[in-house]
Amino acid sequence: MSNKVAIIAANGGMFDAYKVFNIATAAAASEKEVQIFFTFEGLNLIHKQAIHALEMPAGKEHFAEGFKKANVPSIPELVEMAQELGVKFIACQMTMDVMGLAKEDFVDGIEVGGAVTFLEYAKDAAPTLTF
Amino acid sequence: MLQANMQLDAKGLACPMPVVKTKKAMTDLAEGQVLEVLATDKGSKADLAAWASSVGHQYIGTVEDEDILYHYIRKGNNEPEVEKAFEQTVALKDLDTRGGMILDVREAAEYAFGHINEAKSIPMGELESRLEELDKNEEIYVICRTGKRSDLAAQLLAKNGFTKVFNVLPGMNEWNGILTKEI
Repeated sequence: MSNKVAIIAANGGMFDAYKVFNIATAAAASEKEVQIFFTFEGLNLIHKQAIHALEMPAGKEHFAEGFKKANVPSIPELVEMAQELGVKFIACQMTMDVMGLAKEDFVDGIEVGGAVTFLEYAKDAAPTLTF
Repeated sequence: MLQANMQLDAKGLACPMPVVKTKKAMTDLAEGQVLEVLATDKGSKADLAAWASSVGHQYIGTVEDEDILYHYIRKGNNEPEVEKAFEQTVALKDLDTRGGMILDVREAAEYAFGHINEAKSIPMGELESRLEELDKNEEIYVICRTGKRSDLAAQLLAKNGFTKVFNVLPGMNEWNGILTKEI
């Protein structure tokens, strides 16, 4: 059985962020090795400013209250927890070049890599998840 | 609610926090100790049971009381492979043909979630200080979950002058008879 979980975060909304970081922290808490590859809009989820302004899908803004009521941790809190549990964040170099972003634009502790970096990690991971 | 070595309050927290907090709390426990987790997240029952089995802890059970879930998890499901040293043993299936008393040395929470009727509970860690509760003239059948803790308990009793002591093999994990619960 593989002890690695590989996650691709390719979308940048609030719901996407919860899907990615909930699964990632739960896997890390279950003593799995976890890597997340952030690409295209997914980079929002670790961008120093964007992370505080993640959007709900259009028409779903009313869920904000539900998040509050359910006492769901904030995304910056989940990010910190994921890193504390050893989850590794890889930002996609190509997307960063396209968008004119530098490593300093992202939360501390991330790595920058290309598609092959992630594929090499994911080749014996189970499951590999895409959000 | 039940006796445990440590308590974790995860009330009001949503998934995945109860699991994350439990993982952290577990590092402060010694092997074999029991953690009590208080939670209000309804999903935490299935989550913690799955989590415990995946990382190698023993999920003992959950009690629900007024919207609060009390979960019990014992650290380190994988008991060390040690040679059983105590020679007087009794097969679990023959237990009901014997007289004497059954001594259950599992943790209090494990006992509460299901034990043999009339078995007396003294957790392994308390045995040495509670020997006066036992009668040297009576036959004592020591049982735990798998037969390992009871092996150590039987040795401890023998060292303290008990001669009519038997280790029951295997333990409660293979017991198919009636279970008495205290919850």
